[in-house]
Amino acid sequence: MSPNTIEEHYDAIIVGAGAAGLSAALAFTRSEAVDQARREGHDPRVLVVSKLQPLRSHTGSAEGGIAASLGNMEPDSWQWHYFDTVKGGDWLVDQDAARLLAQEAPATVINLERSGVAFSRTQDGLIAQRRFGGHTSDFGGEPVKRAAYAADRIGHQILHTLWQQCVGAGVHFAEEWYVTDLVLDDAKGRVEGVVAFDTHTGKVHALHAANVLLATGGAGRLFHTTSNSHDLTGDGMALALDAGLQLEDMEFVQFHPTGLAHTGILLSEASRAEGGILRNAQGEAFMQRYAPGHADLAARDVVSRAIRAEVDAGRGIADPKDPDGPKDCVWLDMTGIDPDHMRAVLPQVVETIEQYAGLDPSVDLVPVKPTAHYTMGGIPITVDGEVYRLDADGSRHVVEGLFAAGECSCVSVHGANRLGGNSLLDACLFGTRAGEGIALRFQDGPVDALEALDACPDDPELDQAATRRGTDVDALLAANAVEDIQGDENGSDNAYRVMRDLGATMDRGFAVLCDGASLGEARAALAGDLSDRVGALRAHSDERTFNQELTAIWEARHLVELADCVLSSALARHESRGSLYRTDFPARDDANFLAHTMMATDAAARWQPVRILDIEPGRRAY
Amino acid sequence: MTVVLRVNRFAPRPARDRERSRKSSPFARKSSPFADARAARKPRGRSWVQEYEVQARGNDTLLDCLLAIKRDIDPTLAFRYSCGHGMCGSDAVAVNGTPMLLCKAKVRDCAHQPVAPIVDDAGFRRTSVDGEPSPVAETAKPVVELAPLPGFPVQRDLVADIDPMLEQIRRFKPYLQADGVLATTVDGKVDVFEYLQRPEQLARYERLSTCITCGVCEGACPVYAGGEAFIGPAALINQARFIDDSRDRARQERLEALDTADGFQACQSVRACSRECPVGIDVGEEIWQLIAQSKEQEA
Repeated sequence: MSPNTIEEHYDAIIVGAGAAGLSAALAFTRSEAVDQARREGHDPRVLVVSKLQPLRSHTGSAEGGIAASLGNMEPDSWQWHYFDTVKGGDWLVDQDAARLLAQEAPATVINLERSGVAFSRTQDGLIAQRRFGGHTSDFGGEPVKRAAYAADRIGHQILHTLWQQCVGAGVHFAEEWYVTDLVLDDAKGRVEGVVAFDTHTGKVHALHAANVLLATGGAGRLFHTTSNSHDLTGDGMALALDAGLQLEDMEFVQFHPTGLAHTGILLSEASRAEGGILRNAQGEAFMQRYAPGHADLAARDVVSRAIRAEVDAGRGIADPKDPDGPKDCVWLDMTGIDPDHMRAVLPQVVETIEQYAGLDPSVDLVPVKPTAHYTMGGIPITVDGEVYRLDADGSRHVVEGLFAAGECSCVSVHGANRLGGNSLLDACLFGTRAGEGIALRFQDGPVDALEALDACPDDPELDQAATRRGTDVDALLAANAVEDIQGDENGSDNAYRVMRDLGATMDRGFAVLCDGASLGEARAALAGDLSDRVGALRAHSDERTFNQELTAIWEARHLVELADCVLSSALARHESRGSLYRTDFPARDDANFLAHTMMATDAAARWQPVRILDIEPGRRAY
Repeated sequence: MTVVLRVNRFAPRPARDRERSRKSSPFARKSSPFADARAARKPRGRSWVQEYEVQARGNDTLLDCLLAIKRDIDPTLAFRYSCGHGMCGSDAVAVNGTPMLLCKAKVRDCAHQPVAPIVDDAGFRRTSVDGEPSPVAETAKPVVELAPLPGFPVQRDLVADIDPMLEQIRRFKPYLQADGVLATTVDGKVDVFEYLQRPEQLARYERLSTCITCGVCEGACPVYAGGEAFIGPAALINQARFIDDSRDRARQERLEALDTADGFQACQSVRACSRECPVGIDVGEEIWQLIAQSKEQEA
């Protein structure tokens, strides 16, 4: 759906309609500041731009839970949650942000419930909670039930509830619009707006905005084996890179241990929380060996590497669908879970296994393999969601009016490895905070007032960017290019193939384990073959409307650009920490690398020290 | 095995052509009092059927096949998809005439041997001869027919405009309307807690809350897809989700708003909506329950 009218100037453009974007839109409209401005006669102009239809965002696929120390099932405290988050992130967590995350978690979850989320319940009617890897009581003691859940479809519930509330609040949407450019002013100190392509009409729009929030989600499609939807192509991160900004900690990508064999489809951690056990080819419950005490509920990177170690030691199994293929999976044994209970609390997991593996988890062992799941790094933001650049002198320089939230951002609450249940929390909480921040800026200078005074900035860079993008579209669609490409055997390459080959390159060079050589090879493939191919891509049809190939070409460009940032960040970090395991530097090195990687395109990494408040770095053992 | 995907494709005529033709005609849509809704919904453009031959395994999904086509044969083929495993609701299309999700439809279940039609002397097509199954063309490859979701205007190829469904959902306050009362602590201070809801209260609407608004029920409904005035099963399920939620305070108003000629009164209880719901909602039964609740209220 396209908006009825397109404004000359917007108070805010929100890019992305998942948990972070919708939380921001909602927090904005519900805020005191907006309420007051409305009473003074200023109607905010806010547009949520999404490349998808409503309710299709990947938030809807989150299964297990959202973490908060509600203490509904057993005693819990935010301090324990704070500690677990910092430890889980292998001390690469900014403690001011993590502290806030843990403190504000209960209110965030309760707000979601009061907005309509159909949480599972205790007998007394409270929000039910379950155990999740890495969440403990007493600062690393016994596992604690902290993840508030809705069977195994918490993401679906949150996404739908937030959208419903946005409908109630009258939020405007531009759906199936693809943002192609983020535009800053010449000095890169202030946001001017975004350029967006309406896939329905084929028109390029320059959207001038006093505030822009990027909430585009992660970049799982950098990899072939991924739990992420086809749309998670790191668009927001790539837009930031294109605008000359840095990305933070991009070398940290979480591989979820239990993807359903070669499909990559996620089987929720809840499957292990409810009693599922990983077994190798010999039937051994091997996690006990790698993480005594926590076993199958150790942190995700620990479990993923344990699986990889078992596979490398020859104790892996082949995906039964491809019995002659590589023995790169292990078994998930859920047969110990009562079948009725399993169906009641893990309906989605059971259905996925039945549907996509053709197995019955109450009697069959299920093949699993680590799958690219979450990008811990992203666009650097302050705890109020403002995007900043790290200057050469180490100070943070905020880009005025530019915000980011959710998986595309890095506030850094996840550090080097995210704990289960913290991603939805991050998206909802920091999305809300960004929305509130934008509301305050709106109150200070609503664009309708500025327009009346003819005081809106000119934003020449934005109009130039829109013109350039129009030329780009014309070139991609040029009828003669279409003929060339179809007439030429070698010219039949397309964005979908490029993305497949990029995924295979990143799987090989980076996933779960890597070293300088594997990273270097992947980077060479990017710089050579893949970059050439992505640069040569043209659409195979000259139609402007609903031409999905256009979007795919931009996505492929974004992914290739981002892949290089991931690889060069990993190459710069000569240590292993959290999700990043370099076999050539297997130990953590706090003396040199207790710092965030700040990486821009074609620049050397800058290092930003981790913010440590209360919790001194310790050993991350489970 | 080799499967033929027979895809009903569509390319819209560019907007400027459409505008021109409309302006030049004195009988263009708006000016004609006789233009009915269906004519207005009829898309303008070029339609054709294209066959793609792919290698597939029985357990592969139709989405797997279409992605392979996009990558290896024809990148211009348009269809929506996102998560690829039945959570996002993007990829509802008509498979052999029945609406379902591409990512849940298996080649094994959908590919059928094309049947050579038997026409008798009077010109009637017979379904079988003396109880024998119709002869199949032995050499022919199994076929899957794909078309955009029925009941919605096609935009390109398998991409349909489902905005009418979303508009209908939006019309009926599709959000929780709770009492908003804040709990207080022992010493009388305001303290925000969750609304209490016992598991059996949750069970009354939990399944309804899993609707992914894919539109399969709408495409299957002969009233809705047939073009009659009907708000459609998806909007009714959305409302039922709140009507059955113990936290919602607008039950009465919601039931009244739905009790109209184009509301649940338009439902003919065909129950085709229930058959292919990808999340297993018995849509027809739930609509029936709404009607029963409404009657109870009146009594």
